[in-house]
Amino acid sequence: MSLGTQHGGQGGVHTDVGAVVAAADRIRHAIGTVIEGKPELLRIALTVLLAEGHLLIEDVPGVGKTMLAKALGQAVDCSVQRIQFTPDLLPSDITGVNVYHQDRNAFEFSPGPVFANIVLGDEINRASPKTQAALLECMEERQVSVDGRSRTLERPFMVVATQNPSDMEGTYALPEAQRDRFMARVSVGYPAPQAELDMIDSHSARSPLADLAPVSTSSQIRHLAEQVGAIHVAPGMRRYVVDLVNSTRTSPDLHLGASPRATLHLVRAARAYAALDGRHYIVPDDVQALAVPVLAHRLILAPEARMERMSAEQVVAKLVSRLPVPGPQ
Amino acid sequence: MPLAVLVALLMSLPLLGTVVTGSGWWAAAAAMMTAAAAASALYRLSGRSSLAVPFLQLLAAGAVATPLFAAHTGWLGLVPTGETVSALYLLLDQGIDDIDFSPPPVTASTGVMFITALAFTALTVAADFLAVTARCPGLVGGPVLAILAIPLTVDDTGVGAGAAVSAATGFLLLLAADMWLRGRQWGTRVPDGSGPSVRLLNALRRAAVVTVSIAVAAAASLVVPLSIPFLGSGFLYLMAEGVSQGPRGPEVITTTNPMSSLERNVLSLSDDPVLTYSTDAEKPEYLRTHVLDEFDGVNWTMSPVDAEEERRVRGALPLPTDWRSGTGGDTVSTRISLDPDTPPMDFLPVPYWPRALEAPGEWYTAPETLAVFTTESGSTGLNYTVVSATDEPSAAELAATGPARSAPQHYLSLPEALDPRVADLAEDVTEGADSPHAQAIALQEFFTGDSFTYTLEPSPVPGGRDLLTHFLLEDRTGYCQHFAGAMAALARHLGIPARLATGFTPGERSEEGHWTVTRADAHAWPELYFEGMGWIRFEPTPSSPDAQGTATVPDYTSDDPPERDPAEETERPEASETGTDRESAPSADESGGAAGDGATASPSAAFGQDTDRGVPSWLPAVGAALAAVLLLSCLPALVRALLRGSRAAALSSGPPTAATHAAWRELCATSTDLGIPWDPAESPRATAARLTATTDPPAPARDALLRLALAEEAARYAPAPAPVHGVGADLRTACAALAAVSSRWDRARALLLPRSLAPWRRGTPRPAPSPA
Repeated sequence: MSLGTQHGGQGGVHTDVGAVVAAADRIRHAIGTVIEGKPELLRIALTVLLAEGHLLIEDVPGVGKTMLAKALGQAVDCSVQRIQFTPDLLPSDITGVNVYHQDRNAFEFSPGPVFANIVLGDEINRASPKTQAALLECMEERQVSVDGRSRTLERPFMVVATQNPSDMEGTYALPEAQRDRFMARVSVGYPAPQAELDMIDSHSARSPLADLAPVSTSSQIRHLAEQVGAIHVAPGMRRYVVDLVNSTRTSPDLHLGASPRATLHLVRAARAYAALDGRHYIVPDDVQALAVPVLAHRLILAPEARMERMSAEQVVAKLVSRLPVPGPQ
Repeated sequence: MPLAVLVALLMSLPLLGTVVTGSGWWAAAAAMMTAAAAASALYRLSGRSSLAVPFLQLLAAGAVATPLFAAHTGWLGLVPTGETVSALYLLLDQGIDDIDFSPPPVTASTGVMFITALAFTALTVAADFLAVTARCPGLVGGPVLAILAIPLTVDDTGVGAGAAVSAATGFLLLLAADMWLRGRQWGTRVPDGSGPSVRLLNALRRAAVVTVSIAVAAAASLVVPLSIPFLGSGFLYLMAEGVSQGPRGPEVITTTNPMSSLERNVLSLSDDPVLTYSTDAEKPEYLRTHVLDEFDGVNWTMSPVDAEEERRVRGALPLPTDWRSGTGGDTVSTRISLDPDTPPMDFLPVPYWPRALEAPGEWYTAPETLAVFTTESGSTGLNYTVVSATDEPSAAELAATGPARSAPQHYLSLPEALDPRVADLAEDVTEGADSPHAQAIALQEFFTGDSFTYTLEPSPVPGGRDLLTHFLLEDRTGYCQHFAGAMAALARHLGIPARLATGFTPGERSEEGHWTVTRADAHAWPELYFEGMGWIRFEPTPSSPDAQGTATVPDYTSDDPPERDPAEETERPEASETGTDRESAPSADESGGAAGDGATASPSAAFGQDTDRGVPSWLPAVGAALAAVLLLSCLPALVRALLRGSRAAALSSGPPTAATHAAWRELCATSTDLGIPWDPAESPRATAARLTATTDPPAPARDALLRLALAEEAARYAPAPAPVHGVGADLRTACAALAAVSSRWDRARALLLPRSLAPWRRGTPRPAPSPA
């Protein structure tokens, strides 16, 4: 008996968590053939997908950020577009432009790469702030406005952005507003030695991506996302989430706390996390596991904490370890 | 603010003016109080934690006390040394003795001054803490009332109006200073812009509200006690050592300590009349007020008396203990008028043996002592009539009585620490006396003999000696209460039940049938119990021109057949003194000459008796203390067991959610008891995982822990938790596993001192930080 596979309570009262678990397991397994030895990373990526959020992957070059995003898109069998962000990238290169057709004597909209289910924004912090801002509207509104006309994007819509740590050369730090729009930030990290050994074998002949067959469809993901929205959040748990987000605003270590949007993101992510676990209600463990990925990238450390070389992740973990879990009602 | 406290307490100093005489006693107190207040004021300027203030104040006061009271011991007369401490301790001891052994008001000896200064310094420290640190200056009224209580309890003269006004003013000044300071902290008052007429109206309205509130409170305080039935009458009237208290209600009646009022009267040498009476008796009896039956080695005190309804005096008084049937034919009637100027008495002076009493008001009597008392505040100028029996037993009758058996045992009790030399003295004095009566006479003659001197100014008792030993063996000077107390104590040692009576001698005959009793006629005498005869008065106080001139030696206290003229015998004590001289000489010779068989036998018997009494007296106390300690040490375990029981009840019969919560809480408590930490910020699942990781229990317990955690999680957070079965069994398994991995010490501690009962050890959930 292991903690991870416990199915507490009656499954399927309101939601078909079994279907969620089954689909998630398939996707996880499929991606697992490409990204080895990172189950927690995959889990959070799936959580964000099911919660209909956006994922920010931050790490040094070459650890498989792009690979993860590509594998995710391929496993779900939905349209995947990739945008390589460069300093000279223009907003219209993302959203698309109205092109004049001489034969029809009319402007015709040529959709940009953002019109896809999964948009991979590679090295997002290499683009200028103006271009980054163009992505902003798409991410939050799930629509594109070009020349006064808005076009809705198809669900599921997920931006998986990768970025190099902001202190590396030739990067523009993402503005707070844009960071806030990402549901979670994860870092891939170096693989374990054994995983790296396996990687040499699996990547030597051909790319494992080529062998990755789709295991799900976009309509299935839409359905699963609706199921996730019905996951029960007990009143005590709501309070817990609010208290946790609130504590980031009052912590002396933080200059800027998390926004109310962070609260919503945290609840949504916790629902998806619970569904992945096969539960139809969230528990403090879900929130605790997601607190760092969901909250840390939105926070700005106070100068004192920065002097002490603390990281936002450490501050969030400290807050989580101090907040009492909701007791019996 | 500390200075306001100082002023308030300085102004309450005059309250003690009536109990401490002498000049300058207040100066030392004022100096030490000033030092303490100055320490507080200066330290508080630094703005540091005010918790250190009391210690600094005590240090400052101690530094001042050295030059004041023990200058010769200090280094340069200022810096205290070890010698200073012992000198001050000695001084304290002397002061306590002075206060204990002299009637109020006490003279301001150095010791008394030191005690006063010490007490006032302590009050200053307490008041400073209350008013400045705790910011409750109203509570300083407590210390001031404590000072006020001293003159009121030890003395019935009360405090002067000036002193009371001064103390009240000081207190009000303190309150005003506090209000003023607070007002300043809050800023200046904003003028409300209304005209003077509006302000006047507001002031009037406030005054009216205050007046009405006071009136309502006063009316309530009057009506509520009256409406509660048993508070109205003196239901149970306890009286001990000068303070009597109705235990069921707020009725606290204060009477003066009989001994101290007696002392005051005797020492006053005053001719102020206390009462006058007319009697048809030729030779009036003593007028008795109190009977003191408890002796602690120093003081004689009265055991509590009950004012029960059946003891109420309605005409006839109950028969005294061991009343000789067949006698009592001869009675005299005494009409007594208390002087209107004397303080009210709650114990009536009545001649012994009183048979009937006609007096206005409610009066009660104790059958054993026949003392007559009231629960109301006694009245002045009372007129009442007492019928008393006059027939005294003859010396022959008394001589024929054997050892007393029917008197209550407590009339024989003596303190354990009675000086053995006193016991020897009693044996020596009564050498050769073969009956209780003869022993009593020997004692009386011993006291009225040459070796004792009557004086109203006996030398003070040195520290470390008790009064009885000092009086009997060393000094042999004193006045009536010393003689009476000593004789009663020695009689008790000899096995004769004895008690001390206080009251008045018959006084002077003013005209035919009319007698006047003055304050100086106050007297104390022993009463000894004789089997079949009852309580008989003795007179061990030697006559003196100073006082107690009207004391008489009873006829029956002489070995001689009563062939002498009764008039001569009852006349002046000079006559009896010469008589006792004659008889005491041979007895003294005898005691000095030979140690008879009886003398050697009886002390050992007496000591045997003492030790017999001693063993059971400490054994029950130790037993009770042990039982109490055991009970107390079992208390936490008991509370824990009760909690466990209530949770078990919820587990077995409560709704499933409650049962799961109860099981989880019990698991938390057990884990805390065993010293395994419990983090409130940890979810049930994480807690189970941690417990499994740290304690590594066997597989069934691991699964049980996990099931418990998941059930609790579902019960807390799921919308409709599924009923869980086997929670109780899981809980038992998990708790047993936790106990098994704990050390023996932890298990014992969990049983006896469960940590889960201490809220600070339980890991109480901290409140989430509130938004800024």
